[in-house]
Amino acid sequence: MASPQPPLSAPPRHTRIHPALLAGVRASLPLLMGVIPFGVVCGASAASIGLSFAQAWALSWMVFAGSSQIVAVQLLTSGAPSWVIVLTGWVVNLRFMMYSATLAPHSRQYSRFSRWFGAYLLVDQTFAATFGRIAEGREPHETAWFYLGMSLATWLFWQLASIAGILLGNFIPAHWSMDFVVALTFIALLIPLLDNRLMRIAAIVGGAVSLAPQLPLKLNLLAAALAGAGVALLLEKTWTPHTSGPSS
Amino acid sequence: MDATYVWAVILALAAVTYFNRLSFLGLLAHVELPLRLRRMLAYVPPAILAAIIAPQVFPAGLSSLQTLDLPRLVAALLAVIVALRTRSTLATIGIGMLTLWSMQALLA
Repeated sequence: MASPQPPLSAPPRHTRIHPALLAGVRASLPLLMGVIPFGVVCGASAASIGLSFAQAWALSWMVFAGSSQIVAVQLLTSGAPSWVIVLTGWVVNLRFMMYSATLAPHSRQYSRFSRWFGAYLLVDQTFAATFGRIAEGREPHETAWFYLGMSLATWLFWQLASIAGILLGNFIPAHWSMDFVVALTFIALLIPLLDNRLMRIAAIVGGAVSLAPQLPLKLNLLAAALAGAGVALLLEKTWTPHTSGPSS
Repeated sequence: MDATYVWAVILALAAVTYFNRLSFLGLLAHVELPLRLRRMLAYVPPAILAAIIAPQVFPAGLSSLQTLDLPRLVAALLAVIVALRTRSTLATIGIGMLTLWSMQALLA
């Protein structure tokens, strides 16, 4: 592999931090308004079902994906079989595969270590911002530094928020209905996704199926996800029979 | 809760989540994700988020009007409006919880 610094974008000798790294850190800051409450909620919900500190924090740094952490916590406390929890969490996190596939053509020049480490840090917000910079046609190394800066800052604040949530979670009385914070957090995550008819249909079908009579083995969430995504995909095919490109 | 069960779930979930992230960046670096599959993956997040929200807003299901949890329903509706208007997680949580607590106090 060639030198990691192409001549054109090489910073002056005395600068040890690439400016795009700092741009990435700065880009993470406005999103902390969403990251921090969500991290606190994830930590608190893990602590509230009686997980130890090590277990609750392991969810945040090993899994590092809030929605699936919440789903796992809810299914753990309902006593679902472990394979159901893992399969449901895997489906919740399938979107990372889409992000991974989208970033892959722009990552081939980097070392295996960079790609494997970068993959660990991949989250929704960083993907969206980095993809935006790729679409703007920014220089690849600058985009990579940006990704690293934004990812590391987001990771750090996610861990701090999770730890705060874990410590708080043990002290919140049940009559405060704090479980409802999860629903509200997810409303805040869901609303921005509903920017077209098919996304709204996926949400309505998913929500409706989740209210259907209990399936065995707590398979409701999985059924809801597959039904919602499946119906949207079928309708997409019906409504746009002649387009092959992505519609939105 | 049994520690082995909890750790098994955490480790396995971490592994499958990392697999998803790494998939095309690392393991399948020279494979293209088929477009149909990519489209389907885009529809999973709204479906799953709605599926997590709905049972918390309708804890007794939709079988009868008497079992509706009015404070939760009103709080969720207001939260949707706040989320649409502000796109702010903090404001959505704040208004939603304040509404829930006030409604619960009023109806108690």
